[in-house]
Amino acid sequence: MVTSENTKMNGLERAKQLSKNRGLRAKELRSQGRKIIGYLCSYAPLEFFTALDLVPHRIMGSVGEPIIKADAYLEPIACPFVRSCLDKALKDDYDFLDGVVFPHSCDNVQHLSSIWNYYLKPELYYFLNVPHMTEPSSFEFFKSELTAFKKYLEDFAGKELTDQALLEAIKLHNKNRALLRELNALRKQDTPLISGAELLQTMVATMVLPADEETGLIESVIEEVKNRPPKDSDEDRPRIMIYGCEIDSPEFMQMVEDSGASVVMDDLCTGTRGYWEGVDETGDPVEAIANRYLDKLRCPRTYRVSPGTHEADIANRFEYLKEYAEEFDVNGAILYIIRYCDTQEFDAPDVRDYLQSIGLPVLHIEDDYTLAGIEGLRTRVQAFVEMIV
Amino acid sequence: MAEQQKTKTTATKSTKTAGKVRPIVKKMYLRAQEAAAEGRPIAYGMVASQYEEILRAMDITPIWTENYAALTAAKQVAEPYITKAEAEGFSNVLCKYAMVGIGFDAIRAETGKIPEGAPDGGMAQPTMLLGSSAVCDPRFKWYQTLGRYMDTPIHCIDVVYPNSNHFTLEMRDYYVKYQTEQFKELVNFLEKTTGTKMDWERLDHIMDIADETIQVWWDAYQLRKATPCPMPSQDHFSCMVPAYYLLGEQEALDFYRELHDELKERVDNKVGAVENEKYRLLWGGGLPPWHTLSIFNYFESLGAVFTIETSYHPPEPLEPMGKDVHPLKRLSSRVVDRAMKAQARAKEGCGDSRVQQILDLLKEYNNVGMMMHQARSCRAMSLGQIHFKNMVQEHIKVPTMFMESDIVDVRDYSEAQTKMQVDAFVDAVESYAQSLN
Repeated sequence: MVTSENTKMNGLERAKQLSKNRGLRAKELRSQGRKIIGYLCSYAPLEFFTALDLVPHRIMGSVGEPIIKADAYLEPIACPFVRSCLDKALKDDYDFLDGVVFPHSCDNVQHLSSIWNYYLKPELYYFLNVPHMTEPSSFEFFKSELTAFKKYLEDFAGKELTDQALLEAIKLHNKNRALLRELNALRKQDTPLISGAELLQTMVATMVLPADEETGLIESVIEEVKNRPPKDSDEDRPRIMIYGCEIDSPEFMQMVEDSGASVVMDDLCTGTRGYWEGVDETGDPVEAIANRYLDKLRCPRTYRVSPGTHEADIANRFEYLKEYAEEFDVNGAILYIIRYCDTQEFDAPDVRDYLQSIGLPVLHIEDDYTLAGIEGLRTRVQAFVEMIV
Repeated sequence: MAEQQKTKTTATKSTKTAGKVRPIVKKMYLRAQEAAAEGRPIAYGMVASQYEEILRAMDITPIWTENYAALTAAKQVAEPYITKAEAEGFSNVLCKYAMVGIGFDAIRAETGKIPEGAPDGGMAQPTMLLGSSAVCDPRFKWYQTLGRYMDTPIHCIDVVYPNSNHFTLEMRDYYVKYQTEQFKELVNFLEKTTGTKMDWERLDHIMDIADETIQVWWDAYQLRKATPCPMPSQDHFSCMVPAYYLLGEQEALDFYRELHDELKERVDNKVGAVENEKYRLLWGGGLPPWHTLSIFNYFESLGAVFTIETSYHPPEPLEPMGKDVHPLKRLSSRVVDRAMKAQARAKEGCGDSRVQQILDLLKEYNNVGMMMHQARSCRAMSLGQIHFKNMVQEHIKVPTMFMESDIVDVRDYSEAQTKMQVDAFVDAVESYAQSLN
């Protein structure tokens, strides 16, 4: 039997294994009596699970795998990533989950949640209402929602979630986030020490491991990439930032890098959004979690109060992209927008215009997540890369 | 897929009262144009955001932008706006209400005037944008993106529904509190933007009118349970206009009183929407195909009448709250309590409030078939329909048709194909109806 224990050849190899066989470790842990809780999207408060010794497991789709079963339950105009997640679940690929938590991130996830619950009947099912607004009352509301959710999880886990345990979980997740930022920073060099595809695989692997095991994996990847023989110089390769939502498989990054560019930064749900900002370790921990997830996560599903003019609004919403671009010496950006992801689709023209206004060439791609047309995309990306060179 | 040879695409109405809606719609846009000429505040707004009465109490003229998109669809002039939005870089799969609105404002920003040929004189330039998260994400994302074309003050609010399966009575308090705070912040924004203070007594009075309007509207629709059905769905998709767009105005209340009287008279005299009613159907989901409401008349030609619909259904009236309750809390409680009431009913039945509504309407209105509209650009109202149908079938094997089209974009519609589908569906309904006898 292939287990995650005997695939510890090195950090990157293990990350690759786990990113391909995502249920591997979760199944082992479950056989040892641990409870595995699946969650969608970036808004599930991971710290709660960890503090209660529940194993969070991010639900992802399967790029390239045809939708077979989901058609009977979810319309084709739903986000194809969401459809892929459901399809995998209906094919029993998520049969190791003891429960699922759906934060109200967007319309697509909201609709998926009730369908998942009805047909897959998980032992634990919870729909967490996440406000879209960011007024002071929104944070207060979200804190109340989180408190109700915490109580529900306590009942499920059969133990109390103390502030002390929550703080320890916050510190552990913050440590992992800091390590991921350290790993990501290895892309700042003229010749990045880690490719975009490798980093994505590592990210995916971290999302299917318990937090305490994440630490070791990320540390081992850092150590490995720092110590491996230097690559040929990448100085002439355009440095690309990828903007989008759920890219959970390395094929797209690989294709961009095979096209002659280096992927040096991202703004993805499966990328920097997960680790760029941590949870405040002082004060009330539930309040700190509410602040981190509602305010610091940069997903277009959250409305940012406009400071006044359009120019100021755009700066308020997207200036962090400029900071990313400057810090990572980015030469161009690719917007990889999954069709039917409404909030991302609405933002795309503004993001495109903003990035162009700061001097970055932009390639705007709308795709269906499956990468079925990757050869067509390759042609477009190659032309884009050549244009930057 | 668009058909080349179209004749009449709007529906022929059955009731006299429904025929009075078109002038009301014209007047809505005229009012906004007059407000613009006189320099009075005008708000772009999202229907059913629960802030309608607040706007009226502060003399802010609303423009319901989704309604305008539907109007362009009904007039078959939506395409240039959609094309413009596409040219701006917005995806063709986005909500077509939003695409029409974005295209309209992009053209206005470019030309400095209302687009030529815009129906009913076009949407006047707003002085504020009021988005909301009620129903779907595009309803705040749309206005956020309009900053590209106008530096207009914007405020968006959350409208939170207790839709968790774990919702408890204890949670009601903080839901109502949050909703109240959201309305309070909206009022603060409106006061600041208009320089006018809210008159709370006036708001209370407007809400009284609104509550009465909802009650009369609700009562009127109970009359549609009669056989033959006195009013079909194509009339409903007009008659919902005063309740959604003029809520709190005396004119809306008077409209439903008149509708009630007309339906009563029809029921008393056994006047049906179709001459020989053979099949009673439920409009079970999705917003209507505004571009081709005449499809309802095709159903009628086969003896089928849509007796009731889940879309824009009148909200079930609630027990009035005491006079000592602050109007904003009254508004907030309305939002939360309506959802809780529906959930409570579902708990006694199938478990899902949306499916329970379908099951109830099938039964109460004696329907033998159900149609759902899968509108390509409307995820909020189209997703879940397959699931709803699956759940309904576990309780009752009623024939169901999924019509595939769009709310606005006629390019997603094939009349010939739809009519063939309708023919087959009505055959299935016929067999089903016979099996019941």
